[in-house]
Amino acid sequence: MGGKRIKKDKRQKREDYRAAMKRDDISELPRKKFYRQRAHANPFSDHQLIYPPHPDQMDWSSLYPHYIVENKPQNQKDQPPPSQPSSQTVSGESPVYSDNDSTPEPPALRRISKDVEVADIGCGFGGLLIALAPTMPDTLILGLEIRVSVTQFVEDRIKALRAQSLAQSETEGGDAAPAGLYRNVGVLRANTMKFLPNFFRKAQLSKVFICFPDPHFKARKHKQRIVSATLASEYAYVLRAGGIVYTITDVPDLHEWMVQHFDAHPSFERVGEVEQEADPCVGIMRTETEEGKKVERHKGAKHVALFRRLEDPEW
Amino acid sequence: MILPYHLVKVCGDAVFIAKGSDIHAFTSNFEHVSTWKYPVQQPIVESKAPSTETPESPAQDGPPTKRRRVEPKKDKASNGHQTESKNGQHKSKKAAQYDVPANERPFVQGLYATGDGRHLVAITGSDKTVWVFEHSGGGNIKLLSQRWAHTYTNPHLLGFVSLNMVPRAMPKRPCSLTFTRDNLTILAADKFGDVYALPLVPSSTPTAETTPDPIATGTPTTTQPPSRSETPSTPNPSAFRPQADAFTVHTKRNLKALENQKISLGRRALQEQLNRPQFELTLLLGHVSMLTYIAVGTAPSTTAECKTREYIITADRDEHIRVSRGMPQAHIIEGFCLGHEDFVSRLCVAPGGREEVLISGGGDDDLFVWDWVGSRLLSKAAVFEHVKKFPGSEKLTKIAVTRILACEWDDGIGVFVTVENITAIFFYELLPDNTLAYREAIPVPGYPLDIDVLNASGTTTKEPRLIVPLCMKSDMANSSVITMSRCGEERWKWEPIEDMPVGDDVNISETELGKIFFSTETLRKLSDFD
Repeated sequence: MGGKRIKKDKRQKREDYRAAMKRDDISELPRKKFYRQRAHANPFSDHQLIYPPHPDQMDWSSLYPHYIVENKPQNQKDQPPPSQPSSQTVSGESPVYSDNDSTPEPPALRRISKDVEVADIGCGFGGLLIALAPTMPDTLILGLEIRVSVTQFVEDRIKALRAQSLAQSETEGGDAAPAGLYRNVGVLRANTMKFLPNFFRKAQLSKVFICFPDPHFKARKHKQRIVSATLASEYAYVLRAGGIVYTITDVPDLHEWMVQHFDAHPSFERVGEVEQEADPCVGIMRTETEEGKKVERHKGAKHVALFRRLEDPEW
Repeated sequence: MILPYHLVKVCGDAVFIAKGSDIHAFTSNFEHVSTWKYPVQQPIVESKAPSTETPESPAQDGPPTKRRRVEPKKDKASNGHQTESKNGQHKSKKAAQYDVPANERPFVQGLYATGDGRHLVAITGSDKTVWVFEHSGGGNIKLLSQRWAHTYTNPHLLGFVSLNMVPRAMPKRPCSLTFTRDNLTILAADKFGDVYALPLVPSSTPTAETTPDPIATGTPTTTQPPSRSETPSTPNPSAFRPQADAFTVHTKRNLKALENQKISLGRRALQEQLNRPQFELTLLLGHVSMLTYIAVGTAPSTTAECKTREYIITADRDEHIRVSRGMPQAHIIEGFCLGHEDFVSRLCVAPGGREEVLISGGGDDDLFVWDWVGSRLLSKAAVFEHVKKFPGSEKLTKIAVTRILACEWDDGIGVFVTVENITAIFFYELLPDNTLAYREAIPVPGYPLDIDVLNASGTTTKEPRLIVPLCMKSDMANSSVITMSRCGEERWKWEPIEDMPVGDDVNISETELGKIFFSTETLRKLSDFD
């Protein structure tokens, strides 16, 4: 009985804490203990996911409010803003919805001035996102995570960091610190194994990170791994030619598995060791991810592999 | 209970109609030619469903067999079919206890014909098997889909190997299949989301009867043909090693799992050897979702002018329609036709020189018309709206499209749509501006289970005729197959096909039957129920 009461208190505390974090003026970093969730989520079950039916119907404005283009909502069907050269090459793919639709288009989809170009699949508690954000301040970075609480943590973390960064630049004044860091990161709850193409158009991304994925040791669970021959095709679809998939794991056999599958896929080639080590993202991936730090503590080995998206052959 | 006829396929100049596990062949004048019966195999002692489990079925993927919830058998279950009566609803609940659930029976779940009409292909459900028949015209079919395989008569004694002719059983239950345009390769989409390519005619037959060379060497015939070497291959699963070590496993439970893995290593390797499909099978592409339909479309090549290229179009339960290149570049996704907000159950590439148009339907209220090459939505056409106007269905809140058939009709393209649990066929016309114009709802005297069109050639009537197997839910014995044709402007006449073979009485309950024949709605996600 007593245990039950304590449990309830714990839940109550968690709810109170999370409710408090919802307030806008909070700039305190969230604490992980209020966001713990079991480590696995079944990617095959339906969950209660929210995803757009088509990438063009995705509302990015709530994730990247500082990039909103203040246009009239009628301009929705216009070309995306020309800041991204890549977005123009694929803009022809956006569906032309007939005007006699019985279902009305969702009103006032606010456009943002850029497209997301970097995705962290299975971002966990968001260590990589936070570390990447200042190194590529002009690129939109999106973390994708299937666990609700963990996504909530990252969301609160980004919110707090944005507020802190703003406050810091105000106190230090003007040019001393870059104003408004972390405006280019966002996080979404999503099942990427199923719904990656609902968020990204063809060739939209330049980098995809797959850091310390669930190893799924049992042979029966291998189908649940985030890398497979068939999923590699989807990563190839969202990546532009020359784009890179970054993988890192502490499980040697999973590393081998990922290398085997990407190597066997004709759309990818392995990036050489020299180039790999020269990539600043690799260093960040090694040291800044939460799991990377944990492996460091356990003195485990980290296996990195990068794969470049090749041009599609003629057809 | 007498099963209804549930599938129909026009193949060349013959009509094939499936009923339970049997396939009946008819001429184009609906004279019964022959019947193929599912070969019942010797029951295995332990197996509850004797005909579904072949001794060396490659069905199981991993070492642990699939666990199924087995309902405790009630005492009354033994006389279940005796209490069954046609009037009592309350009794049917008691009678619902049967030995084998309906989806464990080897019912024919799909019937397909190659474009040239020379081959008929059937899928049977529970044993995941693809059967290929050679059709020599007039409804005469000969089973082809045999392969040579070495069967270990006793798993513990590898030495005893016997040569058997066994059908091709897929790794997972196929739910839809189609053919490449050269009619040489079957593309099979399964419930696990994968699409496999397998040759229509297995290479080892019929010559294998004299030279069973792939077996002589003892190597399984899973080798990839050189023409498809570009397709990504899954690394050989037989090279199994424990995936974790003491560094990577921290929890007690995982450590235990690791230990168990090591223990069962030897046993597993043997199992893998036994379970691998022993026929040519290539994984082409996959969704992480149940596939519902697969189609092949062709479009002009982007490079060489005079050539056309094939594309594989797959639909899944998670609202996606994916367009991939055909073999050997099936790993490249050309685009997605996105816009459905509920499952997609059916695709249809328009005939009559309009192959760039794709019609899709499923759990949404509308049919979608796509330019699938450019991943563009061209138009939508309401279905739900018209279903609601149909007498008796005013209170429906959702529908599930079960069939979309497009065929050349009256110098245009007619599109016939059936909806689950609606006793009508909805007739649309695909207009030159790529919109679907609703024409009418044609009432039929039962629930349509399938639909196909028989063109006039060789028959007395000029008009193309629709063939529709119907299910009478309350009066299953009277379920029939009707042919429909238009007589005059806006009027339809239908007549049942006479002298259909009645078939055997099958020990199965009505609810179980419903699970097979009216299962499209179950694709809907639970969160959508309200």
